[in-house]
Amino acid sequence: MSALELIDIRKRYGVIETLRGIDLSLASGEFLVLLGSSGCGKSTLLNIIAGLAEATEGDVRIGDRSVTGVHPKDRDIAMVFQSYALYPNMSVARNIGFGLEMRKVPAAERTDAVRKTAKILQIENLLERKPSELSGGQRQRVAIGRALVRDPQIFLFDEPLSNLDAKLRMEMRTELKRLHLMLGTTIVYVTHDQIEAMTLATRIAVMRDGQIEQLATPDEIYNHPATRYVASFVGSPPMNMLEATVAEGIAHIDGSLSGFALPADIREKAGQARDVVIGIRPESLSLAPAGDAALGIDAMVEVVELTGPELVVTSTIGSQRLTASLPPKSAVTAGMAQRFAIDAGALHIFDKATGRRL
Amino acid sequence: MTSNWITTRAWLLMLPLLIVMIAIIGWPLVDTVRLSFTDAKLVGTAGGFVGLDNYVKMLSGANFQRTLVTTTLFAVLSVAAEMVIGVLAALLLNQQFYGRSVLRALMILPWALPTVVNATLWRLIYNPEYGALNAALTQIGLLDTYRSWLGEPGTALTALIVADCWKNFPLVALIALAALQAVPRDITAASMVDGASAWARFRFVIMPYLAGPLMVALVLRTIEAFKVFDLIWVMTRGGPANSTRTLSILVYQEAFSFQRAGSGASLALIVTLLVTVLAVAYAALIRKSAGAS
Repeated sequence: MSALELIDIRKRYGVIETLRGIDLSLASGEFLVLLGSSGCGKSTLLNIIAGLAEATEGDVRIGDRSVTGVHPKDRDIAMVFQSYALYPNMSVARNIGFGLEMRKVPAAERTDAVRKTAKILQIENLLERKPSELSGGQRQRVAIGRALVRDPQIFLFDEPLSNLDAKLRMEMRTELKRLHLMLGTTIVYVTHDQIEAMTLATRIAVMRDGQIEQLATPDEIYNHPATRYVASFVGSPPMNMLEATVAEGIAHIDGSLSGFALPADIREKAGQARDVVIGIRPESLSLAPAGDAALGIDAMVEVVELTGPELVVTSTIGSQRLTASLPPKSAVTAGMAQRFAIDAGALHIFDKATGRRL
Repeated sequence: MTSNWITTRAWLLMLPLLIVMIAIIGWPLVDTVRLSFTDAKLVGTAGGFVGLDNYVKMLSGANFQRTLVTTTLFAVLSVAAEMVIGVLAALLLNQQFYGRSVLRALMILPWALPTVVNATLWRLIYNPEYGALNAALTQIGLLDTYRSWLGEPGTALTALIVADCWKNFPLVALIALAALQAVPRDITAASMVDGASAWARFRFVIMPYLAGPLMVALVLRTIEAFKVFDLIWVMTRGGPANSTRTLSILVYQEAFSFQRAGSGASLALIVTLLVTVLAVAYAALIRKSAGAS
């Protein structure tokens, strides 16, 4: 039995189609992250699952029951909002218990449930406070508590961490992961932050222009991106995308004289394709001595930046840019020609016209 | 530049306004207080000092007490109705529907009209011979014969309250609508997911956002309703049989119709005092509710 099933969900506003046929099925206990840049339709999709917006076409099924046209309160879902959406006039305890109160759960039972939830989230000492007396992180916990206390089939998170500062965001990320492992709940989580997606998800749906570009595990998304878009969206610094022309197994980087022979398996995948985009993750590059015979590429180093754990080296190959993440003590100087060795197993090749992986 | 000069310059800059204020507010106020202790007539005698006689006479008179009841009735009923209708109208105009912006603009119209125009309009509606209300009620069979709504003591005050409501509910609606639009979308969405019914959502989630602004509307409207003059003066002049005589009308009659400037002034000061008490009480309420939220 799938916990959530979306069947050909479409959403149109006038002539603009913001969701163009979304299909996916979620098993119980999965943590699905909808990842995409703003305007890709991920929040709209979440609202459609919640029942706060209606799909123009398609069906939402929760626990094998069609909920199209069903009111949010009857969908057995709970939602955590980006703005937390706590009721400012109510105490933390009442905020958490409001959903139960509205469902006519007896007061004693309610108090019990609220205490238990507060304990899980370590906010027992805040129960009597008003939201205005809480810090951002505490508010976030209350918002999660409000969802948790109802024990719904599916939890929906709409960019819940984006209002927190960087340090707190990391803490809450770990906290969410801990909660998911502990409670085994089914979660749909919307974010534009690829780190959140990579760390939290059991599966990621990368969305673009109202469609799912790729739906896969974080490992798959990172190591076998289905399209050029997915490849460049996930990873920091982003994957290098070198436009190249392939002739007789040799990739000639556009706008430069350099090129390299493609490894056998890639050459096979490339087949007859001529115009391709070669994707190389910055961390798959390493320094190589000039004239080294192994798979590599020559570039002109422009900028060297030390971030702490790594040295980010930006170079140019003709008119194209190449970024490498190197160990911090690497001997590399701006303004010099430098040869980079490429990890042959980490080479990606995409069709230039369609952007799809070859 | 010394701070002394800055202070002097500030006073110099304020001086023209201060002179005007003293001339049109300060002096008349002081003179009214002086008058209230005399038996001066509007024309002729300057009047002699009579101490608190005017106040005692006014406060103990049956006229004053009956008028106070009428005024309170008018203020409480019209403001209560305006608040309810105003909030309902705001809730309606906050929904998505075709023609909403036109309706929002139209709603302001009664409030934007001068009171005299509004009063004249309602006098026509209530007209005992050719009024629209009589015609409508007779035609749908609720009424056998035409009635003089403003001419019967039993209906005149109600008729005035209806007219006042029509004119002033838009102000409440406008304030409530602004407050409604300040309710974050996420909060409404959260309450829907939490399973709140429409009523529970209004009561527990929306109302806290409305309370503060509505309190301001309540204060403004109550004070205005307590001082009401023009609407009633144009429609009934306090009649029939003084059934619609409010405090402001009584002040006018005392001072100008009966030309008793002394007792008129004392009455005016009593009304001012009552309104001040209201204003101070409400200000305290507002501060309390602001502190609570």
